[in-house]
Amino acid sequence: MAVISALPPLAMQAGANRVVQGVKIEHVCGDPALPPEADRDLRRRIVAQALRALETEVQQPTVMQPA
Amino acid sequence: MMLRVGHYLNQFFAGIGGEQSANLPPESREGPVGPGRMLQNLLKNEGVVVSTLICGDNFFNEHTDEARAAVRNWLDGLRPDLVVAGPAFAAGRYGVACVEVCRLADGLGIAAVTGLHPENPGLLVYKKAYVVPTGDSATAMVPALTSMLKIGRRLAAGDPVGPAEVEGYLPRGIRRPGVREHNGADRAAEILVAKLGGRPFRTEIPVDKYEAVPPAPPIPDLRRAKIGVVTTGAIVPKGNPDHLKRCSETRWVQYQFDGRDRLRPDQFECVHGGFFNLPASENPNLVLPLDVLREMEHQGAFAELLDSYFTTTGNDQRLIDCKRNGAEIAAALRAQGVGGVLLVAT
Repeated sequence: MAVISALPPLAMQAGANRVVQGVKIEHVCGDPALPPEADRDLRRRIVAQALRALETEVQQPTVMQPA
Repeated sequence: MMLRVGHYLNQFFAGIGGEQSANLPPESREGPVGPGRMLQNLLKNEGVVVSTLICGDNFFNEHTDEARAAVRNWLDGLRPDLVVAGPAFAAGRYGVACVEVCRLADGLGIAAVTGLHPENPGLLVYKKAYVVPTGDSATAMVPALTSMLKIGRRLAAGDPVGPAEVEGYLPRGIRRPGVREHNGADRAAEILVAKLGGRPFRTEIPVDKYEAVPPAPPIPDLRRAKIGVVTTGAIVPKGNPDHLKRCSETRWVQYQFDGRDRLRPDQFECVHGGFFNLPASENPNLVLPLDVLREMEHQGAFAELLDSYFTTTGNDQRLIDCKRNGAEIAAALRAQGVGGVLLVAT
């Protein structure tokens, strides 16, 4: 499992091992202030990173930034 | 009032034997046995230990249903005013049995109390049991029985029992409204000053401790994996058909995507009460990224997206409910063939 969170320290404290940095609590997977295509592109990067996290070996709670 | 007391003991304290006798099936004896005699002394002429139920620790934990039935029969036949279980000190299996006896008594409306070391795993069995903290070995028998009786008398008489920190039992996770001498701001400032000054203080809201979770192994080939998506962001079909709560939710729900390629604001909304949810209601994909997940599914980034999702409201949810919800959702995902999960935490 990969957790997408705007607050990775909280996710890790709760025991999540694969944590991907999201945008904000209100819009973890995107930014409504951006033009729709840019918002979607940001969302694509976050989800792609979360999928990569699922393929990544981790030993302990680890934060990953969307590429 | 002359109290009729039923006492629960394991094989060891009943003087039958140690581990070699731990498979002993439940048996009851008239009157006090072993530490029950001390209990009788402490009761003086206030009450009588009328019966003792004895069961081997292994038996209780390995033949739980049978042991429970025996306890229930014993309680039903005896109808005592008070059940005293143990104390079990730091003994794990015995502790589990003692708390289970308290739970069964509670179910029958019979007052019950036990005594455990605060780290005894029995405490996890039934949070609502009245458990008095004890030392970790039987040398603490007299003080343990004394404090068990102190609470037990009150429970048996149906007298109101005050908060754990005042009455001396272990916290049961229950909060009741009450009146304090000083207001919250004063008390908080006092705690802060004590903390900054390195003096002892007691928090009024203890935070549950999380456990470390061993990492799952990576997915060997994402392109062959079925992916599921879960969110604590309370994304629900428009109109919130199951009345998912804005906060303090105890449940989870599963909803269908029905092949949709994105979440439309006229069909889904966000009902989370812990953040400004208008952006997520105007575009639910900001929390539950179905639009890009579908796109990646079509591009073959992974084999298949589970055509439904799970959600709850991650706002002031008790840790015990979080754990249960997590375990139940994980079981449902596994049953539906999911190999990898994205959890969007708001």
